[in-house]
Amino acid sequence: MSAPASALAKEVRGEEKSSWVVLLVGRPNSGKSSLFNAVTGGDAKVGNFPGVTVDVLEATVDLPAAGRARIVDLPGVYSLLDAPDPNTDEGQARAFIDQAKRKSSDRVIIAQIIDGTQLSLGLRLTKQVLAREARTLLVVTQRDALDKRGYELLPEEIERALGAPVIGVSANAKDVREVMLRALAEVALAEATAKPVIDFDESTVAALSIREKDHDKRSARARRELTDRVDRWLLHPLLGPVAFVAIMSALFAAVFLIADPASAAMDAVMGKLGLVITNTIGDGFWGSLLKDGVLGGAGTVLAFLPQIVILTVAVELIEASGYLARGAFLIDRALQAVGLGGRSFVPLLTAHACAVPAIAATRIIRDPRQRLRTMLVLPLMTCSARIPTYSLLIGTFFAARSPLFRGGVFVFLYFAGIVLGGLASIVIGKVTRQSRGHALPLVLEMPPYRRPRARTMVTVGWRGTKRFVREVGSVILAASIALWVLLRVPGPQGPDTAPDDASPRVVAMHHSVAAWIGHEVEPVTKPLGFDWRINVGLIGSFGARELMVSTMGVIFGIEDTEQDESTLRDNIRMAKNADGKPAYSALTAASLMAFFVIACQCMSTVAALRRETRSWRWPIFVLAYTYVLAYLASLVVYQGGLALGLG
Amino acid sequence: MTLDALPNEVFGRVRAIRLATSALGWLRAVGIFEGERVQILRRAVFGGPLHLRTGCGGEFAIDRALASSIEIEVETAP
Repeated sequence: MSAPASALAKEVRGEEKSSWVVLLVGRPNSGKSSLFNAVTGGDAKVGNFPGVTVDVLEATVDLPAAGRARIVDLPGVYSLLDAPDPNTDEGQARAFIDQAKRKSSDRVIIAQIIDGTQLSLGLRLTKQVLAREARTLLVVTQRDALDKRGYELLPEEIERALGAPVIGVSANAKDVREVMLRALAEVALAEATAKPVIDFDESTVAALSIREKDHDKRSARARRELTDRVDRWLLHPLLGPVAFVAIMSALFAAVFLIADPASAAMDAVMGKLGLVITNTIGDGFWGSLLKDGVLGGAGTVLAFLPQIVILTVAVELIEASGYLARGAFLIDRALQAVGLGGRSFVPLLTAHACAVPAIAATRIIRDPRQRLRTMLVLPLMTCSARIPTYSLLIGTFFAARSPLFRGGVFVFLYFAGIVLGGLASIVIGKVTRQSRGHALPLVLEMPPYRRPRARTMVTVGWRGTKRFVREVGSVILAASIALWVLLRVPGPQGPDTAPDDASPRVVAMHHSVAAWIGHEVEPVTKPLGFDWRINVGLIGSFGARELMVSTMGVIFGIEDTEQDESTLRDNIRMAKNADGKPAYSALTAASLMAFFVIACQCMSTVAALRRETRSWRWPIFVLAYTYVLAYLASLVVYQGGLALGLG
Repeated sequence: MTLDALPNEVFGRVRAIRLATSALGWLRAVGIFEGERVQILRRAVFGGPLHLRTGCGGEFAIDRALASSIEIEVETAP
């Protein structure tokens, strides 16, 4: 769906011939993405926050009797004349429109989407759109919302005043696609007409175009008052920040508390499946490959699917409801203190699902210095890829504790990432000699609250599921099988770490290539409490964090020679050193979690940083500072714990 | 008087904006412009942003430093 601007530029230059290019232009949060989805059947991200579209999205449709058309959903713009920075989402949209107009104006239709509930604001941009002298269609959305508020939209009045075609639509209406395509076809087929009026007074036109229906005034007031009433609590000077912290804590705790039983159940299912494989295929080469390599590796990671989906949907709920902008309002001052700002809040929150889209979302930050700083601290936010490792370690070593305690540890890890991100921003500001605060002050639209649509939530959850399953089925599956092979191929002679009562298969694994590599790293990681097995996991998870858990799954799957339904958690708890003592403790888990909170173990994030900063300098900087800090944090936790007698 | 000094819930009208031309044009496009009616709904704690409502129906979080660049005249409530 997403297409780089350069590819579409070919389109508008006519190098890749199609009949029309329709540019959806409008203010941020004007309903462009909803309309794009309705017309194209696509799945552009729809939110209730200015700046949701950070990529150029496109799809091809047929215009009745006018041929093919590429519909392009551009990031929102307030102005086609004044954009603070060409690298922001707004700057990129403006550059795209300029390029399209310059190269192929006769094949381009600008469809300006105007939020009918803020008509006069939208008409300010209309003046600039009409001045472009391109084929134009004005699409006023939220007709249904106006109706509920007791107002009637009169698009013909706008058309009469401006001399440009106008339609009024509701993105949820069944016939919206047909209405939109027919109107675009009429614009495409129209002969040259008189120049539209561009020196109109937007307030006057807006007043003429919306008629108040006298039967429903109470409904209009009630809706307006609802947002006001909710804001009175959620943005209260004292209660607002408390509610903000409570909402964020509840979100993070819910990821663990709600999804953990489901994950544990899926883990148990994997244990049963392993037993079935052993009973039917046996414990030989193929049985071990399926049980230990495939099921132990990729299957173990798949068990954390419920947590990933719940987190993705929860972040979407916050965004779609309109609370995201409120969060930015509440936290702007605190973020300014560490050199960031309210607009940084959006990518920071998004990064709790995944840092890659969050890095793209920094384009809504208008100050280039603040944007860079935000990008550099984003990898410290607890993304969903860390969840499997956290859940596994908490579920394994704190199983005897109450769910509240385990949920508390989970929330603590999230806030540890946030606090470290703030500290890192301060240090990065000093190292790069950036000033505190921001040169471009905050101006952020606060949309009214909206009830998130169930269908959107299901779509988002399904999209998250597909992405996770695809990743598990490709990268993680391949890595798990590769690791399984490396754990069977004999390596150079290393230390004998297998327990005395170990089976020949386990002894062989302790002398494999993978084990040898893990042993070679031990001098560096032993002060952190890590053994060769964790080292192999850390090396494997350099590219993607999820590989830590899959690695553990494969190693302990091979070590588990009992033909029972034991889970990975049981196997890790029962793991022994050569001397027969337990291999790991809660302190080992704490040390490993400290490492995972900080280290940027994600090559997709590194690639996104490279793409957005157009330099290798900053991705390398992020890798270096996070790994050094991660090592030091683990060292302090483990050695400090030993000194306190916690080992 | 500047916008940051406007008491909560009191209506004002923007008289002038003292900003560099590019930032001024963008702010006008956003919906904060000379002649526009404004009202501060609330202020975030510790010198945080202002929650502003404009006559066009837009609501914005606006930095206090920026608000101090916007001159207004106070109106009496309608």
